[in-house]
Amino acid sequence: VTNSGRNEKYTNRNPVKAIILALPMFLIMALMITGGSGLPKDPLQLTAMIMAYILINGIFYLMILSMKTDKYRSLLFVIYAVCFVITFISNLVEVRGSMIVTQEDMVQGRTPFCHMVIPMVIVPAVLTRTIIFPGSMLEGFAAIGTMLVLWLGASIVLGRGWCSWACFYGGLDEGFSRIARKPIIKNINRKWTYLPFAILLVIVLTSAATLSPTYCAWLCPFKAVTEFEEISSSTILLQTIIFFSLFIGLVIVLPILTKRRIQCGLFCPMGAFQSLTNKFNIFEVRIDPEKCAQCNLCVKTCPTFSLDEESVKSGKSRITCTKCGKCIDSCPKQAVSFHIKGTPLGVNFETARLIFIYPAFLFLAVMGSGMITGAIYRALLLVKTGSMMK
Amino acid sequence: LPGHSKYFKRFPVLTDSPSATSKAAFFVEVLLKFLEYAQQKKNYMRMKFMKGFLLGLANRTAVLGVVYIALAILLMVYGFINKEQHCAAKSFGTLKKKMSDKYQVLLPAALGLLTGLNLCPPFLLAFAAAAANDSLWNCIPFFSAFFIGTSVYLTPLLAIGPFRRHDFLKPIGRLAVGIMGVYYIYFGFVTIQRSIHS
Repeated sequence: VTNSGRNEKYTNRNPVKAIILALPMFLIMALMITGGSGLPKDPLQLTAMIMAYILINGIFYLMILSMKTDKYRSLLFVIYAVCFVITFISNLVEVRGSMIVTQEDMVQGRTPFCHMVIPMVIVPAVLTRTIIFPGSMLEGFAAIGTMLVLWLGASIVLGRGWCSWACFYGGLDEGFSRIARKPIIKNINRKWTYLPFAILLVIVLTSAATLSPTYCAWLCPFKAVTEFEEISSSTILLQTIIFFSLFIGLVIVLPILTKRRIQCGLFCPMGAFQSLTNKFNIFEVRIDPEKCAQCNLCVKTCPTFSLDEESVKSGKSRITCTKCGKCIDSCPKQAVSFHIKGTPLGVNFETARLIFIYPAFLFLAVMGSGMITGAIYRALLLVKTGSMMK
Repeated sequence: LPGHSKYFKRFPVLTDSPSATSKAAFFVEVLLKFLEYAQQKKNYMRMKFMKGFLLGLANRTAVLGVVYIALAILLMVYGFINKEQHCAAKSFGTLKKKMSDKYQVLLPAALGLLTGLNLCPPFLLAFAAAAANDSLWNCIPFFSAFFIGTSVYLTPLLAIGPFRRHDFLKPIGRLAVGIMGVYYIYFGFVTIQRSIHS
């Protein structure tokens, strides 16, 4: 592959060169995974940490070696999401005794904060100087401050790349979307791609009007695999039914039937909100009109409906692009590539890819390492003691 | 229509054409006749039934719930299903186009005046309150405050200008309307449930 990458077939990179290119990541991850405080004394924790380190860096090495982005990103992204669920639920059960969040937990601010809440808290925070979420600002697991800083950093660096490289929920519907070999439902009306923005509009306005996170209370499918309120009234029962129905429908069934990330592409208001950050993010996905054969394979494979015939003609992905790299990997003419805004199109695309995947993978690895280590540790604990709890 | 001309003396002309005026007058005539008919208890049994039916519905809150659901279904149809774009002001658009060159001020001024003269319930309330006041001078600040208070609701209209350039906002707005329809269906059921339990 030449530096420009034009009219060249993808081939594996030289293994030694791949190691040299991946070496900085190996070192950064060594620092990140240990937290700079040395190795743990517990042999199980140490084993889990080493296994997580090898897994993450092995995947990165393969990504550099093969010059394929999505194949290996997807693998780690799905592992990350599954490990998040295992680690999160295990922690909840250990601390609270169950996945149920009680009124007392909320009053005490012990509810973990997730990025889904961010669009809802901004307007009330400006108007009332309060965060309308029953969490802790700095203390405990998933504190509001920590999550806000992580999200802000990722948004500046990745834009909506957050949804394919950092979000701990996205890997779930991505995993289910890759189960079937061919999609059963192929034609999806494009008007539904506007639905996440409509939901965003509704939840921002209703949250500001009611001063409560309405999406968390009514619409979050991931409550089914994280935590939900104790069922003490018919309203909470209805909310819980909605959570589970949305999870089964949007995260499991529809992704299997369509081979697309339905929750992320057609429902998630956080994804819609995150799309706005693509406006100022320096990375984008571009299509070289000179090389494009108009086969529309990229349109058919895009998991979040971020490419259509119009965007192919214009040479730009839509604002909702999550920079997963699937279209880039699938293009037979290598017409689709990562691109840095302000640079000439069609040259140095492998350099642009490397410049993008380094910070993107770092976010995925840093956010995923804790979850993956935790899940491996729980699995080892289960094998050794017969229980996943300490 | 025969016999409706006497109502011209009672009511000011509210509409802009003779045929529309005739229809409006006929409508008012039927309305008044019905009220008179009901008041004279010629159909006493029917009125008793209706009265009993409405009062039986737990202070009529349940009716409100049903209305919520019915209107919510309309919202959902508009937001999710209906593909055609129905514009209530197509002819107004033509008028605006014709007038916009010569009379840029006249059109909004006329619309503002007509909106101000609209016999909406808040206006009638304000009018009744002003009429109950002894002093004419006291009515002026009252109406000024009423005007300022109701003008606040017109400020979002300013957004129409910059927003209409972006076509993608239209489907987003429609879908948002549909989602709110889902919410109001829930709200309607809750209202009915509360009225039954109260």
